[in-house]
Amino acid sequence: MLEDVREYDEAIVTYVDDEGYPFSYPSSYRIEDGAVVLERHGWLKKKSSDKVSVLFNHITPLPTGGYMDRRYIVLWGGIEEKQDTIRFIPSRRYSWDENKVHFFQYCEISVPRGRRYMQLLERELGRKLKPALSLFSLFFRVTRLPFLIATVVPTLLGAAVAAYHGIFDPLLFILTLIGVAAIHLGLNMANDYYDTKLGADNVNTTPTPFSGGSRALQYGLITPSAAVAMFSSFYALGLGIGLYLAITRGLVPILSLMLLGFILSFFYTAPPLKLAYRGVGEIAVGVGFGPVIVLGSYYVQTQGFHIAPLLASLPVGILIALILYANEIPDKRADALAGKRTLVVRLDDRTVMKLYKALIALVYAIIVLTFAAGYAPFTTLLALLTIPTARKAVKQISETYGNPYYMIPGLATNIKLATTTGLLLAVGYIIPAAYNLLIT
Amino acid sequence: MTFIPAHVEKILENALVCSFTCIDGKGRPVTHPLLPLYERDSGNIYFTSSVLFSKKLEYIKRNPRVSALFSNRRFIMSDEFHVVLVQGDARVLEEDIHHGWEKLLPLWRKKEPYIDAYVKQRIALPLFWERSIIELAPRKLYVWNDGDMSKEPQIYVR
Repeated sequence: MLEDVREYDEAIVTYVDDEGYPFSYPSSYRIEDGAVVLERHGWLKKKSSDKVSVLFNHITPLPTGGYMDRRYIVLWGGIEEKQDTIRFIPSRRYSWDENKVHFFQYCEISVPRGRRYMQLLERELGRKLKPALSLFSLFFRVTRLPFLIATVVPTLLGAAVAAYHGIFDPLLFILTLIGVAAIHLGLNMANDYYDTKLGADNVNTTPTPFSGGSRALQYGLITPSAAVAMFSSFYALGLGIGLYLAITRGLVPILSLMLLGFILSFFYTAPPLKLAYRGVGEIAVGVGFGPVIVLGSYYVQTQGFHIAPLLASLPVGILIALILYANEIPDKRADALAGKRTLVVRLDDRTVMKLYKALIALVYAIIVLTFAAGYAPFTTLLALLTIPTARKAVKQISETYGNPYYMIPGLATNIKLATTTGLLLAVGYIIPAAYNLLIT
Repeated sequence: MTFIPAHVEKILENALVCSFTCIDGKGRPVTHPLLPLYERDSGNIYFTSSVLFSKKLEYIKRNPRVSALFSNRRFIMSDEFHVVLVQGDARVLEEDIHHGWEKLLPLWRKKEPYIDAYVKQRIALPLFWERSIIELAPRKLYVWNDGDMSKEPQIYVR
């Protein structure tokens, strides 16, 4: 109980005085035979009590203001006068060290207490209380809006290949983008809802901006029924647009891709398939955000299929699957506890990184081979400009592997890698398409 | 007009942290390190507490008798140093836990200049920024001048 209390400047001793107020004083101290030996001041009135707390507190003040390195230990027990010393015998303790339990994790662990207190307060104040966020912030957080970039990239890529093949209708592109984005937002919210219902998000105490879900249900930002209503609405919108495109542009092909996309999206987390829980979530995401969206976007424009968009979809599908794959690393412990057998849970740490590196290498190999085989213009090699970003992502993730909060920059670089590579690939098709448009 | 002498006010204003104690349901002291925000006009010391760390709020509502100890030379950003124990009665102000505490930001900013950057990121930790205010009205001060704990403290009573 006392092993880590030696390194503090002082002990703050507190008892309740005769007037019923807490009385505290700082004391030098030493540890001796399971007791904290305290200073014996002449003016001290109370020299024995069984209700005493002793606080050891540390911060490092910063020259610019504020502080860092917070850590403290609170001990409870009794003090007794023994010869010329006062001895404190602890019986309980509580502590926090931000270098051991990150502040975000400390907050996350305390969420159930915070929600209970808000419920108490609701009763006291006689009105509903939930965390205050502007409507946009709430929508942004609940839907995990920034992740829509993973939809924009393949939709744009499919349309860009179509444009390279001489066909592009901006209205159809926008309609496709809205439809696919709605399905993606439905996916994000259904994932939160089912991960909460199945327990994976609840046991996760180390979420990051990129992993652990939106926490909207854990924080009480929305109710579970609101989540169901929202993901149902997003899916309805997405499927409605898909149906319209199917009727106007090609019933069987678009309907088939849409249904496949919907199944991969909804059953990514939802029972009975729970693809993410069976170690095939990464493949589902790779297929869904790669070939399904790229081919769908291409077909809406051209009303036909071609091997070129399929080949173009592979690097993007792999990179978006790798976003998920890397984001699963901080969630490994919680996922394993909840029985979510993601690839990261199933593989050992060394193999996880080996596979990550191998798949990144495969991405660049496909880009080069697609060009070499004549299915992509020379300008698609622009995507190779992201190789330094790939190296940086590998380095950052390897160096911080397993520490959720230190991994955040690496996870951000990994997302940047996927989006920049996808966008450069799309630009690689758009440049010759624009050139052709200008000279004809 | 506050009964707090000027040299003590200097300590209250410049402390980065203090040891705040309330009393639990079993009559035991519960001490936490907290950021004190001293308001000269009222002579009150304010603290904010997130609902995430709300146990002390429940204790204070049941028993408002609290104290705040200002000690450790390294935590007092002032040329003067005295150890000060403030005893008093606390109120929990939480009519508006969303924004009520924001009125203390000017005092908070002086001690943690980076606080605005965190407040702007409210979306990242929504429950952390749901905060109650603890208002401590001092009734008795114990002051050990120059931090000399071997001598009797000077006592000031409201």
